[in-house]
Amino acid sequence: MAQVEKRGGLLRKSSAYKKPLKEKVVLMYDEIFMTEDPSKCSPRFWEELFLMKVNLEYLEGKLESLDGEELMKIKDNINCLFQHCIQALGEEHPIRVVNALQTLCALIRGVHQKNKSTSGFDIINMLMGFDKAELCMKNLMESLDSLLCAEGSESLKSLCLKLLLCLVTVTDNISQNTILEYVMINSIFEAILQILSHPPSRREHGYDAVVLLALLVNYRKYESVNPYIVKLSIVDDEATLNGMGLVIAQALSEYNRQYKDKEEEHQGGFFSALTNMVGSMFIADAHEKISVQTNEAILLALYEAVHLNRNFITVLAQSHPEMGLVTTPVSPAPATPATPLGTTPPSSDVISSVELPLDADVQTSNLLITFLKYSSIVMQDTKDEHRLHSGKLCLIILTCIAEDQYANAFLHDDNMNFRVNLHRMPMRHRKKAADKNLPCRPLVCAVLDLMVEFIVTHMMKEFPMDLYVRCIQVVHKLLCYQKKCRVRLHYTWRELWSALINLLKFLMSNETVLLAKHNIFTLALMIVNLFNMFITYGDTFLPTPSSYDELYYEIIRMHQSFDNLYSMVLRLSTNAGQWKEAASKVTHALVNIRAIINHFNPKIESYAAVNHISQLSEEQVLEVVRANYDTLTLKLQDGLDQYERYSEQHKEAAFFKELVRSISTNVRRNLAFHTLSQEVLLKEFSTIS
Amino acid sequence: MGDTVVEPAPLKPTSEPTPGPSGNNGGSLLSVITEGVGELSVIDPEVAQKACQEVLEKVKLLHGGVAISSRGTPLELVNGDGVDSEIRCLDDPPSQIREEEDEMGATVASGTAKGARRRRQNNSAKQSWLLRLFESKLFDISMAISYLYNSKEPGVQAYIGNRLFCFRNEDVDFYLPQLLNMYIHMDEDVGDAIKPYIVHRCRQSINFSLQCALLLGAYSSDMHISTQRHSRGTKLRKLILSDELKPAHRKRELPSLSPAPDTGLSPSKRTHQRSKSDATASISLSSNLKRTASNPKVENEDEELSSSTESIDISFSSPVRLAPEREFIKSLMAIGKRLATLPTKEQKTQRLISELSLLNHKLPARVWLPTAGFDHHVVRVPHTQAVVLNSKDKAPYLIYVEVLECENFDTTNVPARIPENRIRSTRSVENLPECGITHEQRAGSFSTVPNYDNDDEAWSVDDIGELQVELPEVHTNSCDNISQFSVDSITSQESKEPVFIAAGDIRRRLSEQLAHTPTAFKRDPEDPSAVALKEPWQEKVRRIREGSPYGHLPNWRLLSVIVKCGDDLRQELLAFQVLKQLQSIWEQERVPLWIKPYKILVISADSGMIEPVVNAVSIHQVKKQSQLSLLDYFLQEHGSYTTEAFLSAQRNFVQSCAGYCLVCYLLQVKDRHNGNILLDAEGHIIHIDFGFILSSSPRNLGFETSAFKLTTEFVDLSPLLPGDGRPGWRHVQLLQDADAAGADCCPETHG
Repeated sequence: MAQVEKRGGLLRKSSAYKKPLKEKVVLMYDEIFMTEDPSKCSPRFWEELFLMKVNLEYLEGKLESLDGEELMKIKDNINCLFQHCIQALGEEHPIRVVNALQTLCALIRGVHQKNKSTSGFDIINMLMGFDKAELCMKNLMESLDSLLCAEGSESLKSLCLKLLLCLVTVTDNISQNTILEYVMINSIFEAILQILSHPPSRREHGYDAVVLLALLVNYRKYESVNPYIVKLSIVDDEATLNGMGLVIAQALSEYNRQYKDKEEEHQGGFFSALTNMVGSMFIADAHEKISVQTNEAILLALYEAVHLNRNFITVLAQSHPEMGLVTTPVSPAPATPATPLGTTPPSSDVISSVELPLDADVQTSNLLITFLKYSSIVMQDTKDEHRLHSGKLCLIILTCIAEDQYANAFLHDDNMNFRVNLHRMPMRHRKKAADKNLPCRPLVCAVLDLMVEFIVTHMMKEFPMDLYVRCIQVVHKLLCYQKKCRVRLHYTWRELWSALINLLKFLMSNETVLLAKHNIFTLALMIVNLFNMFITYGDTFLPTPSSYDELYYEIIRMHQSFDNLYSMVLRLSTNAGQWKEAASKVTHALVNIRAIINHFNPKIESYAAVNHISQLSEEQVLEVVRANYDTLTLKLQDGLDQYERYSEQHKEAAFFKELVRSISTNVRRNLAFHTLSQEVLLKEFSTIS
Repeated sequence: MGDTVVEPAPLKPTSEPTPGPSGNNGGSLLSVITEGVGELSVIDPEVAQKACQEVLEKVKLLHGGVAISSRGTPLELVNGDGVDSEIRCLDDPPSQIREEEDEMGATVASGTAKGARRRRQNNSAKQSWLLRLFESKLFDISMAISYLYNSKEPGVQAYIGNRLFCFRNEDVDFYLPQLLNMYIHMDEDVGDAIKPYIVHRCRQSINFSLQCALLLGAYSSDMHISTQRHSRGTKLRKLILSDELKPAHRKRELPSLSPAPDTGLSPSKRTHQRSKSDATASISLSSNLKRTASNPKVENEDEELSSSTESIDISFSSPVRLAPEREFIKSLMAIGKRLATLPTKEQKTQRLISELSLLNHKLPARVWLPTAGFDHHVVRVPHTQAVVLNSKDKAPYLIYVEVLECENFDTTNVPARIPENRIRSTRSVENLPECGITHEQRAGSFSTVPNYDNDDEAWSVDDIGELQVELPEVHTNSCDNISQFSVDSITSQESKEPVFIAAGDIRRRLSEQLAHTPTAFKRDPEDPSAVALKEPWQEKVRRIREGSPYGHLPNWRLLSVIVKCGDDLRQELLAFQVLKQLQSIWEQERVPLWIKPYKILVISADSGMIEPVVNAVSIHQVKKQSQLSLLDYFLQEHGSYTTEAFLSAQRNFVQSCAGYCLVCYLLQVKDRHNGNILLDAEGHIIHIDFGFILSSSPRNLGFETSAFKLTTEFVDLSPLLPGDGRPGWRHVQLLQDADAAGADCCPETHG
């Protein structure tokens, strides 16, 4: 009764001002924006406030409209509001909790938008006041933690995660977000893990939790000790890691699926384009349309997991059991009405029967396969910045994988054969490979295929030098493993060799253009050293003696390219110039290849002369090669089978800063989109007594 | 008529083939007994000889030497016949079964101590011949089973039921299928006689409980007899599964358990059990009988004990001790069923691997492989090693199972789980300052893996970084090792003076290495098992051990098992028993024949597990992969004609081939295609799949054109007679062997 009266009173008041009818909550906000304490006149003000439906737009807008000084005037009230929000989080009735969470979101966002230029400390002061900030944030984090861990409403948990994401992404540069210092001290890491380890909650919130974790890990990564990094690196609970892997795999395969759908849509256009013989331009155009928004946040999460946690490597090879089953959207859409939290079976030594969905069509897959497919799509096109970032990150992840002993073990496991359908860019001179005829091979073949594919498809004016270097490094690391462990992979190495030689050719033909921007000699040196690896250590990892012959054949066949390269580097290393040192390194590296060419070419010519053949067949050349090995002496080169380990701290810091910045913006924008709609929540909680 | 009581008795223990007329047979009988002395040294040959003579004379005396050769009904006692009274006066009826005997007139069965003692006093003259047989050292489990089956006398049945306790567990286990079959399908009395023994054993051994439960289920499943009987087997099965037969505890064993009270373990009765069975072997006859007779009492004691320790029982034993194992078996079967729905081998293999990787998450657990011969816990299934076997419509598959051997399955803790890649620490932590995480936290995160730090073999992160230091561990011949080493070591000083290598050497090393690797099979998507089966077992064990997080543990073992889903293995089990029996006969007779009975675990009427024959691939796979004739394949695998390796492989081949020819002939084994004949690394052939034997055949034909499979290729592989070009001697040998084995093996197999 009292409320109704009060409401009436307010209405009258507003009508006196002749303003349009306002919601009660808006009026209450207005009271907060007065300098006076709103609870003065109505002692139950705060209690009532959290019973009202939050008007996010108004609150945010109001905060934005105030300038710094005005805001400082009402600082006490805002502090009060913030504190009461946190208090309300402990309330029993979920409606209050929901409202408090939403109010917090609005507060944090509103204050930040206002204070774009000011420092983080001002914001803390504005929201909580310096003196109370520590306690305030501690309470907030504890409440969120208990809400996330409790067996409560799923929507409530989702809202908690949204608030956290909001808090984390509120600044462009995550490291400047000083409030996060309190999130570091009061860790919610365990709550995130718990969400990931329980299948029902993982299905609902896995995506948000993984993105949140990825972002938190990137807070002041290089400057200070981030407890999230430390904790993530030592997680060894398999259920949790698997949960994380599943979330990532789902997001990536969702992307793959979307891409495939779009591609199929465009298929008709493709064919007409082909029949019209318009040429590659048209195809490229048609292709452009297919691109789907890449998801760097999830890729970053994968990177952090692979890079930081060695236990996670096992998850890469773990097959997805739920792939076919789960139909929940992966996008961070508002949670659908929550299902009651299923009770997980108690862990005992009783084996509960594991069931996989029975679907003959769904090929068993694992995170690594999904990731490789995803990479093959993303790396097709590196023109726009997002995709360039994604492609680079994919290659970095592959670098980490290629360095890991365990990962290599299962990549090369002869018993784990898979058929990986990589996406291949449609190109004029080649047909789209028939997917069905792909053989089942160890996973490393797919990685090599992907690298070869990248090499042959990116020889363009806008030369992605950095990506090429990473790509060659991945191949090199794989070869080092094979050499060390004597894995004789049955792979058609010839494809790799000719791709590498073509790349060398491209470098030389575009020497002037490329030299203006890049040091092409590092790349050339790496390529030549790959060949040296095959030449000097081929006996340890090549599958057959004839593949060694083929290597020689390929080098002899393409000797023109090596000759040209040699004359180029010789020219540049004798001139005193910028590239003197780099070029001379390549000169030295070429010694064996040149020895091979100089040794066999005269022999082949004399063979042709003796037998009166103008053009020797491959078989004839191979015969000459086989007959003349013994008179050839090679020089052993140093450190062919060693490489520099990947290190993020020094070389990649800038890239990751930039990447995290763009992810933050993206996540923030997405959060704004589905603004924490209350309809669902209200529906859910209205039934609760 | 009545003489049958005595007649077959002395014949049984001898492994003598023909049960001819008793009169003529005396001599050979005796000689055989003398021969058996080596095994049963307790018996004085002269005493035995004398006893036998007495038996024979008695028979002659009573019935004028009527020869009865039928073994089938040895205990056909006819009331009112002269024999009856004769026996009655020979032997005082044992007090315990007096009531029975008054009705039935069966006097032979007597298991009481009193009876035994009296008999001793009265000496042989007054003894029942049957009882004398039962008491004799020659009375073995196979006789017991046969008498149990054939005897109509409840007294005899009860006696044998009690007598089962005296046999070694392993011996009785061999006849478990028969015992349980009798329990299910025969009348009340037999069942009552068997039950105490089974209950007793179930209390002792969890493995026995499982086997019983599985067999009872399998043998009851397709019964067409009355429901009352049906329910008897089912009832016992329920009793076993309900876990009321969990081991009883001895009080004195409890203190040893107290250190680990929270593990839900059941203290063992192993020591007790072992001493008992050991005693059975050496104990004198009378005390043996005493023991048997008092066995029901032992049972009571056990029950008393268990009730007195019941409170402890509850706190110690897990709720249902068979449950984890049954779940394990169930999930393996479920995998098989799901695989069967997939169309291609490749999909099946992939699915199998992923299913098993999920199963791995639940391991280690209190589960074991019943086909193994020792106590152990299953800790991991190396899922990537599993293969789908060749089959048209079903999906049998072969899995390897890593286990940790343990003293006692019940009392040993289930090993702690070690994560899939055992790592000492993680990459980033090494680079990170120590703050931010307390020591306790860190320790806590590793607490699940005991002895982590002792594990020297754990991969360190820098493994790949130190490439040139580590020599590859994989098979390399020494020459290569040296060259590799020199190359590597020189590399590091290369800056001083250039090192030159010959391209020819590299090429040569490559071809040499490939030539030196054993003739591995090529991977074939249509036949994924060929490669896995061809890999030498030792090498596989080594390889899997290297890759396993549990591999560093000293009690680590690798087992393998074939899971069959949709196949009735009960007949395979019978075939296994026959083969085993044949094998022991041949061994006894020193016939150089070789067969390989492989263990069978019947899980239900349409599923089961088979112990794979290691180092063996099917001849079909051999021919497909090598494209050679068997002879050429042997030459390729073992070396040329004159090498030791080839000759021994050839000998093995002939011995096994002859053995299996006999088996095929005796059992009328059908469906002998090359896929059902394996060839092992030593040259033996092994026949598998006894799905069609005796009168059953694949295509409703009761016969096959050949009695056994001996192709020209097999003959080509056999050594030739010197001078003569024909390998004729083998046939002679075969016939001789058939003679030795044929008659003897048949009656040994019942049910």
